Order: sequence, then C-alpha cells, then structure tokens
Amino acid sequence: MKNLILIFISTVLVNNLVLTYFLGICPFLGVSGKLESAFGMGMAVTFVMTLATSISWLIYHFLLERFGLLFLEYVIFILVIASLVQIVEMFIRKFSPSLYQSLGIYLPLITTNCAILGAALFMVTRNYDFLESVVFGFSGGIGFSLVLLIMAGIREEVNYADIPYAFRGAALTLIIAGLLALVFMGFSGLISS
Amino acid sequence: MKEVQASLLVLGLTGFSFSLLLAFLSKKLKVKEDARIEKILSILPGLNCGACGVSGCRVFAQAVVKEGKIFSGCLPAGEGMNKEIAKALGIETSVVKRKSVAVCRCGADDKEKKVSCLYQGPKTCKAADLIGGAIDCLYGCFGFGDCEAVCPPGAITVAKGKVYVDIEKCIGCGKCLPACPSNLFELLPLAENLDTYYYIACNNREKGVNVKKVCSRGCIACGICTKGENSPFYLKDNLAFIEYKKIVENEPLEEAKNKCPTKCIMKFTVHSS
Repeated sequence: MKNLILIFISTVLVNNLVLTYFLGICPFLGVSGKLESAFGMGMAVTFVMTLATSISWLIYHFLLERFGLLFLEYVIFILVIASLVQIVEMFIRKFSPSLYQSLGIYLPLITTNCAILGAALFMVTRNYDFLESVVFGFSGGIGFSLVLLIMAGIREEVNYADIPYAFRGAALTLIIAGLLALVFMGFSGLISS
Repeated sequence: MKEVQASLLVLGLTGFSFSLLLAFLSKKLKVKEDARIEKILSILPGLNCGACGVSGCRVFAQAVVKEGKIFSGCLPAGEGMNKEIAKALGIETSVVKRKSVAVCRCGADDKEKKVSCLYQGPKTCKAADLIGGAIDCLYGCFGFGDCEAVCPPGAITVAKGKVYVDIEKCIGCGKCLPACPSNLFELLPLAENLDTYYYIACNNREKGVNVKKVCSRGCIACGICTKGENSPFYLKDNLAFIEYKKIVENEPLEEAKNKCPTKCIMKFTVHSS
C-alpha cells in the first residue's frame, strides 16, 4: 500500500511526465487556453493512460513475454493506445458534444501523445506489477491534468494583463511553461528513500 | 522463422480483436445527426458572419433544428431563403428584418483629402496605421480597403480613396468595425417608420481651422446643423453627431444637409423589401 502511495505522489509531483520528462508538450501548450477544455482533455488523457498502461501490462506479460516477442512492445503499445483513443472519442462524441467540439483536433492527437506511450514504456522498464501499473497510469494522467489545469488557470489570468508586445502569445506561454518546470523541480527532495 | 510466425500471429490477433471491439462500439455509439441540418446548411449562404447571433452557419442550423423555429433570421440569406429554411423544417417564419447597417464616417475622396507625404508601405490600412497613417488627416480613411476585404456580403467598395457601403447588401454584422484602424465604421440603428437616413461623414476631432488644413470635406463644427427647433444634431469634441432617437421626420435633416458648408452630412435610402 505504501508502495502505491509513493508511486502516486512521485508520478504526480516529483517525476511529473510533462514537467520533468517533457512528454506530452503538444497538448500541454495546445489545450491549455481555457480551463474547461483543459479539464476535459486532462480527464480524457487520464482515462486513456490508465487503461493503456493496464492493458499494455496484460499484453506485455501474457503475450509478449510468453512468446519471447519483447521487440514488439512499441508496436503493440501504439496499437492499444490508438484503439483506446478511438473508443474514448466515440464515447465523448456521443455523451458530450460540446467537449468534443472544444477538444477538436487534440482528441485524436492523444493517439500520438508521447506521455501515454512514455507511461507504458516506463511501466515496463521499472518492472511494476499489475496494480502498480494501474496506479502509475492513473497518477500519470492526474499529474498531466494537474499541470494542464495550472497552466490554463495562469493563461486565463494572463489574458487580462498588459503584456509587452514582444512577449504576447506563444512567447509568454513558453516562458510560463519553463517557470512551471522550475517550480516542479522544488518537489525533487520530497521523497527520500 | 518461428519468431516471424509468432509475431505475425500475436500482432494480427491483437489487431483483429481490437478492430472487432471498435466495430462493435462504433455501431453501438453511433451519433445520429439530423439530416435537416445538412439540408439547411445547403440553403444557407455559408458566410459564417455571425449576424444572427450564433457563431457560424452550422451552429445556426443546429439551433434552428433544435428549437424548431427560426429564432433570429439569417440576414445575408434574405427573406426568400429564410422561407426555404422554414419550408424544409415545415414551420412558419416571420419576416426577417435588418436591425442596423454600417456607415463609414469619412466621406472624403482622394481629391478632398490632403496628402503631403508618399506612403510606400504595404497597401493595407493596418500597416499604414503603424506609421501614423497615409494621409494628413489623423482621423480619416486611408483608402486601402481593409474593410472591403472583410465584408462577408461584399457590400463595401473603395473607389478613389472613398468608402462606399452598398446599403442594400449590408447585413449589419459589424465585421468592418474592428477591421478599420481609425474606427470609422458605425452601426446605424434602423427604425421601422423611416426609410431615409443621415449620418456625419467625418471623424476629425480637431478644431475647424485644423480640419480645413487637411480636408475640404471635414466637419468644422460650425454648428449650423444644430440650429433650429427639434434639431437632432449636437456637437461634441468639435464634431457633429445625430441623436437618432430624436428623429421624428426627415425634413430638418434634409435642410441641415443642404446647409452644411462642407457637405459632410450624407444620406442613404433603405428600400423596403
């Protein structure tokens, strides 16, 4: 149990996929304009990441390891992620058309979100068992949503500020992203073994 | 060889099972889109102007189908098309009327505006505005036609440095307002009982002497138009304005138009359709 809590905290704060490993930067900059769509995107990524890591774990251990096909992990993981994204897209389109509209192109782009493939591959290299993998995938998604929400909150506030012309738009967004990464470095001593 | 067979089998089977799942779910979660939306979209002009109050023609079509009535008409489409939409839905529609039209508050052409420097930059008003404008008047129209480019129904033309708004074509969407760096456009409210409208075709807030120096058609704030009883004209910032709510009949306005020494009161007529 202690192990799982440690994985959760370390993935959300200390080893955040976005701000420490710099994975999934595309949606991090693309969908962080509005809090509402950032929340939707975060939830979609969390859902896909949790399912992707758990299903990937099952396939990795029961298919690939058994038949000695470990070199297929990238292909299989991408296959799992792509199918899951399709399913999520169908669900969102059916049950929340407004969220579907606001996520736009970024929803199918979860397929190529490197944070999700990264989570699946980290799970393998770190030798997690099934439960740990599920928690790891879930907390990776939560960490992604947290960072996305912080970013969207800041950017919504910044819209009202009087910013020097040269810093407007993408320039300031990148600076904010860098500062956030610095801030998250402060968590690095949080867990000591 | 055995490895190739195994990887083909594993990859093929995994892919196949996922595709089966997807096929099943896509049937199960199919979103039915109302066929009438496409039908209405094909009738609509597709300008995405937003004059109806929602963003874009598709949203308009969805809202019309959802509410079962035309909540606010499509202005560029005109009455005929709105009737067609109503027919496609099988509902009644009321006559759609414009609420406002755009006018340009600079009525001077190339000969009337004084130009003492040669502007050679990009031929857009936004670019000319960055260096302070292409003409001597700090408030007037540069005549490069940024407004012409954004007007969805193509009602605005620029000829000889002067902006002409085709009042019959104008749908009052207001897209020209932010397009003009000098903020010359204004939406005039249309009243039901009037068909002729007047406006001041000048935006120069300098004193009369200074206006005279840069333009022969500028408002010099002489105040002649404000004389007389029931005059809807008033002066503010060295410029004449019209209080549209005060207009009862057109006669004092016509008189003021004829009396104006610089002829900067313009008029247009709306034909009742």
